[in-house]
Amino acid sequence: MIEVEGLTKVFVDQPVVDDVSFFVPEGQVLGFLGPNGAGKTTAMRMITAFLPPTAGRIVVAGVDLDADPVGLRRKVGYLPENVPLYPELRVEEYLRFRAAVEEVPRSEVGDRLAEVCDRCMIQDVRRQVVGTLSKGYRQRVALAGALIHKPAVLILDEPTVGLDPNQIIKVRELIIELGRDHTVVLSTHILPEVEQVCERVAIIDRGRIVADGTPDQLRSRMVGNPRLLVELRGADGDGREALLSLPGVTGVEDRGACSYVVEHAPGSDPREAVFRLAVARGWVLSAMTTTQASLEDVFVRLTTREEPPVAEGV
Amino acid sequence: MTKILAIVRRELIAYFSSPLAYIVLTAFLLMQGYIFSIIVSFLNNPTTQAMTPLRLFFGGTVFFWLFLLFTVPVITMRLLAEERRSGTIEVLLTSPVTEGQVIAGKFLAALLFYVVLWLPTVIYVVLLKQHSSIDLRPVAAGYVGVLLIGFLFLAVGTFTSTLTNNQLIAAILAFAALVALFSIGLIEQLLVSSSWIRDALGYMNLWTHMDDYAKGIIDTRHVVYELSVGLLFLFLATKSLEVKKWR
Repeated sequence: MIEVEGLTKVFVDQPVVDDVSFFVPEGQVLGFLGPNGAGKTTAMRMITAFLPPTAGRIVVAGVDLDADPVGLRRKVGYLPENVPLYPELRVEEYLRFRAAVEEVPRSEVGDRLAEVCDRCMIQDVRRQVVGTLSKGYRQRVALAGALIHKPAVLILDEPTVGLDPNQIIKVRELIIELGRDHTVVLSTHILPEVEQVCERVAIIDRGRIVADGTPDQLRSRMVGNPRLLVELRGADGDGREALLSLPGVTGVEDRGACSYVVEHAPGSDPREAVFRLAVARGWVLSAMTTTQASLEDVFVRLTTREEPPVAEGV
Repeated sequence: MTKILAIVRRELIAYFSSPLAYIVLTAFLLMQGYIFSIIVSFLNNPTTQAMTPLRLFFGGTVFFWLFLLFTVPVITMRLLAEERRSGTIEVLLTSPVTEGQVIAGKFLAALLFYVVLWLPTVIYVVLLKQHSSIDLRPVAAGYVGVLLIGFLFLAVGTFTSTLTNNQLIAAILAFAALVALFSIGLIEQLLVSSSWIRDALGYMNLWTHMDDYAKGIIDTRHVVYELSVGLLFLFLATKSLEVKKWR
């Protein structure tokens, strides 16, 4: 449904999206996960034919961006991050306006209006002025606007940002439901959201896709590098180096207060060596637990950066 | 076309749901009412020489130009600057609408508002017609001139509104551009030496254009100037929107 190949966007010598390729089959819900400024919004703006790419190819529902940008816009429903609406219009006026610019035939407007209002649960505010609505309602009105022309593909940029927990749950449920008959790409930096809503996750960092798969696949990729949580009382300062010298250990993270996260090669088991090290140095081994990598770890590992973050050029 | 009309409609709703529209309308009517009272006292003066009194209405006074130079930026400043500030331009330009259609819709809405501004002044013409024998043909030509000058000025304002996402800056830019456009023709009177420069600047003198319209002269050279420069600015606005889509 969505084919992206070698997508690149350069803002003043600074690649914001760098050689991104992916394919989303029909009916899938794909989550773009990445820290702020990773290039998610820029990538989405290109897929929706708002920003012209510097290089690369985008095909949505069989329409090539280069050949027919306006045709591509017909296939896509887009909800931008800051939920832009016209505050002076009534909800119904806004949706009728969207229907007109999205080329919904006049005879169908009434039906479409009723359907999206029903789906997005905004029937009770149809006559209300948009500017007076709460954030949760505004979000759903904007979403209704993006759905008015039955788009094949829905692109949602941070759809739950700024909502209260109850509203977040409602919007997530709505997205899951929409995912049944739409191809959806959504971006977020909230991890549980991805695990709940998306069938597939692409982690994007500094303009590149650094991982792509189902949440389970990404997690199991990390289980390959098992971890030990170790607490060595009395080891102040020396603990990290001593642990690193043990056979099989690939990395040690000093979490302070004498606790360390020891990463070791798959198949090796450094637990006994840790115990003997503690005895030999006279440290007290007060805790040792094996841990499983969470999606959060995958995310942190893939997106941690030493240099200052690249600003998203928008 | 439906899409352009939808944009026009939305834009007009936006105009009339903001107090600014009513302030502009009121101020405009106050000014025109004052000019009308001058005209009436003028006509009541038996020593008045024969002339077309409604010329005062159309550019014969400095009020006309001052008002136009101030009002047009206020009418146009919101058009695209606000869309860019609020981000709604992103929604608009990810629907199957071209940049040209957006500009066309916005500009037509501004032009319609401008027409609404002038509409009540027709009452004065009717009143005068009932009590005196004015010639309606120069009056009609005057309205054509008002429309053409409005077309040109509003196009300039639409263009400057695409340049920034701040309404105030858009208005100031429009004002500066309009003053430049207006005064370039007036420089003619200061230049005596080179004749062809004088001719060129004279061609661009909007004051004489309007004066001619008010006398009942619809000179095609004037019409071509207003329309072509107006269209040029609308073209520039479209290009500017294409280039500056990102904030």
